[in-house]
Amino acid sequence: MSSISKYFSGLFTGIKSLLVGMSVTWKELWTKKVTQQYPENRDTLVISDRFRAELTMPHDENNEHACTACGICEMNCPNGTITVNFKMVETEDGKKKKVLDTYKWDLGMCTFCNLCVLTCPSDAIKFENTFENAVFTRDKLKQQLNHEGSKMREKKKVERPAAPVAKAPVVSEVKVETPAAEVKPAVVDTEVKAVVPEVEVKPTVVDAEVKVELPIEEAVKADKEIEAESKDETTEK
Amino acid sequence: MAEQIIFYILAAIIAVFSILAVTSKRIIRSATYLLFVLLATAGLYLLLGYNYLFAVQVAVYAGGVMVLFIFAILLTNRPGADVKSELAVRRVVAGITALAGVAFCAHIIYYNVNKVMVTVAQSELTPQQIGHTMLGTDKYQYLMPFEAISILLLACIIGAIMIARKR
Amino acid sequence: MQEPLEISNLTTWLDTTLRGIMPSMWVILIECVLVGVALLAAYAVIALILIYAERKITAFFQARYGPNRVGKYGILQSVADMIKILLKEIVKINRVDRFLFFAAPFFMIVASMLTFGAIPFGKGLHAVDFNIGVLYVTAVSSLGIIGVLLAGWSSNNKYSMIGAMRSGAQFVSYELSAGFALMTIVVLAGTMQFSTMIEGQRYCWNLFNGHISSMIAFVLYLISGHAETNRGPFDIPEAESELTAGYHTEYSGLQFGFYYLAEYLNMFIIASIATTVFLGGYMPIQVHGWEGFNQVMTFIPTYVWFFGKTAVLIFLSLWVRWSFPRLRIDQLLNLEWKYLLPINLVNIVVMVIIVLSGLTLTDLFPSLF
Ligand code: SF4
Ligand code: SF4
Repeated sequence: MSSISKYFSGLFTGIKSLLVGMSVTWKELWTKKVTQQYPENRDTLVISDRFRAELTMPHDENNEHACTACGICEMNCPNGTITVNFKMVETEDGKKKKVLDTYKWDLGMCTFCNLCVLTCPSDAIKFENTFENAVFTRDKLKQQLNHEGSKMREKKKVERPAAPVAKAPVVSEVKVETPAAEVKPAVVDTEVKAVVPEVEVKPTVVDAEVKVELPIEEAVKADKEIEAESKDETTEK
Repeated sequence: MAEQIIFYILAAIIAVFSILAVTSKRIIRSATYLLFVLLATAGLYLLLGYNYLFAVQVAVYAGGVMVLFIFAILLTNRPGADVKSELAVRRVVAGITALAGVAFCAHIIYYNVNKVMVTVAQSELTPQQIGHTMLGTDKYQYLMPFEAISILLLACIIGAIMIARKR
Repeated sequence: MQEPLEISNLTTWLDTTLRGIMPSMWVILIECVLVGVALLAAYAVIALILIYAERKITAFFQARYGPNRVGKYGILQSVADMIKILLKEIVKINRVDRFLFFAAPFFMIVASMLTFGAIPFGKGLHAVDFNIGVLYVTAVSSLGIIGVLLAGWSSNNKYSMIGAMRSGAQFVSYELSAGFALMTIVVLAGTMQFSTMIEGQRYCWNLFNGHISSMIAFVLYLISGHAETNRGPFDIPEAESELTAGYHTEYSGLQFGFYYLAEYLNMFIIASIATTVFLGGYMPIQVHGWEGFNQVMTFIPTYVWFFGKTAVLIFLSLWVRWSFPRLRIDQLLNLEWKYLLPINLVNIVVMVIIVLSGLTLTDLFPSLF
């Protein structure tokens, strides 16, 4: 008896569940279509900001960039995509100094791993989401990122602010900021970057906000090693 | 005229494929040739205007029996892999025996066919008539054999299940 | 002329003019050729339309747009596909049984064409009207499976083989249910001839006439017909994820095209037989006594009615196809042998009782129908 009732209850629950399934797909039939009609919707197309499509070197209005031609990005690129050509110039005070000549990047060899951007100490390069990169010959994939006649942004003689203030990204993902002061977001001296003793810096965490409050003396003392440390970490990553 | 041509074509198909069916060494091909024979036979029924038998022939033989044949062949392991050709002597003997059988049957059929067979004047049989004949109890009606065959088939089914269940 | 839009007007006119200018034997010959060509053309065109419709509807079920680049709304997509398939090379496979390999697609396509020929598309659009129409259709369509089995065997490929075996098991089982469901309605209608069956459904479709029993038979027929066409949740014979493409893995070009066409046409054939048997075929919706309404309905040509009803059923089949997950082989056979077939057998007895004791709608309310 029980097997017979089981048979029929199985039958009817089966039919019911089939009907439920069909009602679900019926609703799905009338939902808004998600297909992106690509070439037609170019104007309204939304591409995520974090999409890595093209490496760029931002230049400001004076045609200046932040690249110090240190070559770290070139060293860190796993594919040998980047070539930093520099020349040596002599500054007014007689020191020799590297100056960026051409910054070459080959889109065809890039895996968009972002390591170059992460490791650049000056935040001179970043990825844009301009994704329409198709070209007809391979040569066109090789790009020069620094503009013609551009030069490096002179590092400002940074007046140390009275309050312990530093808002500068250690690496692009880690923001270190003090809530105590309204922050001057200017590019701080390249050597003195961020100051993070006693606080665990997690370079892997995207957009981690690390709040730091500490006296400036210690900060200045600590900065060098920490910078080196965090940089090691990023390169290892 | 046209009917005769079609008849000869069908007859040729039946003859040729029958021979091929027994001479082919690959068993699946034999099955296919047999299928052609059955289909051509169905064609003969159609030619006679006997649609019902045509449909039954196609459904039962072509669609049912042959599918099961082929299915069974597909389930066998390397069918016909070690079939050797027979000795020439045996082949000749077999051929002669077969011919003798054909001659015997042909003789009987040729001389006696008019004694037992009555040509039905009717042009087209309706399914209703067939149904009534099949399940009627009057003279020349077939309820009894029909039921006998049903019981036979039922026995076959039960037997098959018994064999399948015995492990 | 009461029905100015019917194609039968055209065919009658053609027949009379031909008979006026030549002897009747030639007329018959020419008409045979014309009917053959028309059927072939209809076969191809319907397949193309179905492929397009299927892709579109599928896309809509998945919140996509489907083909929309070739022509407006992608209308020419399936034409382009057809041209592509025709131009493709027929690849020669090593160590196949060549004769069977080439014969197999023909079984498939011939079976579906023979069935296709017996479908009444509209008044006067009926190539052959056997007095055993329903039986003929079930008989001839069962030939297709031989094409599948032979293809699987002769491809010299284990995937094809497994696909063919599954397909065979599935087809042989579900054919029974489909046949029984049709027989239930034959009991109700008292005829196997399509034309009389349709005529008998003028005021009351068989689906409603036999109420409970008919409805069950209808659902059973749709399920088993759907399974016969190897589609939807019943597509283990060509389950891509395990068998690449099942029995037609090794086929390419036109031969693959045959299988492809036959698959779509079988879907159409199942739907149109269901239409004819259950939904009154090409008969317009008519209500007893409402003369004006009937006039309007009759003005819509019969083939429109036929294709409309068939389209609804095809949509239903697609809906099912994109709703349910694929059945495992044991579930598939369980469904047939433990559910559909017993229900069918009981159902046919119930139908006999309904008909004999006069419980059909037409018997109960003779004034309405
Ligand atoms: S882009 Fe950055 S890492 Fe690369 S050379 Fe310029 S400053 Fe150095
Ligand atoms: S994203 Fe990676 S591969 Fe591309 S240039 Fe930068 S480091 Fe090299």
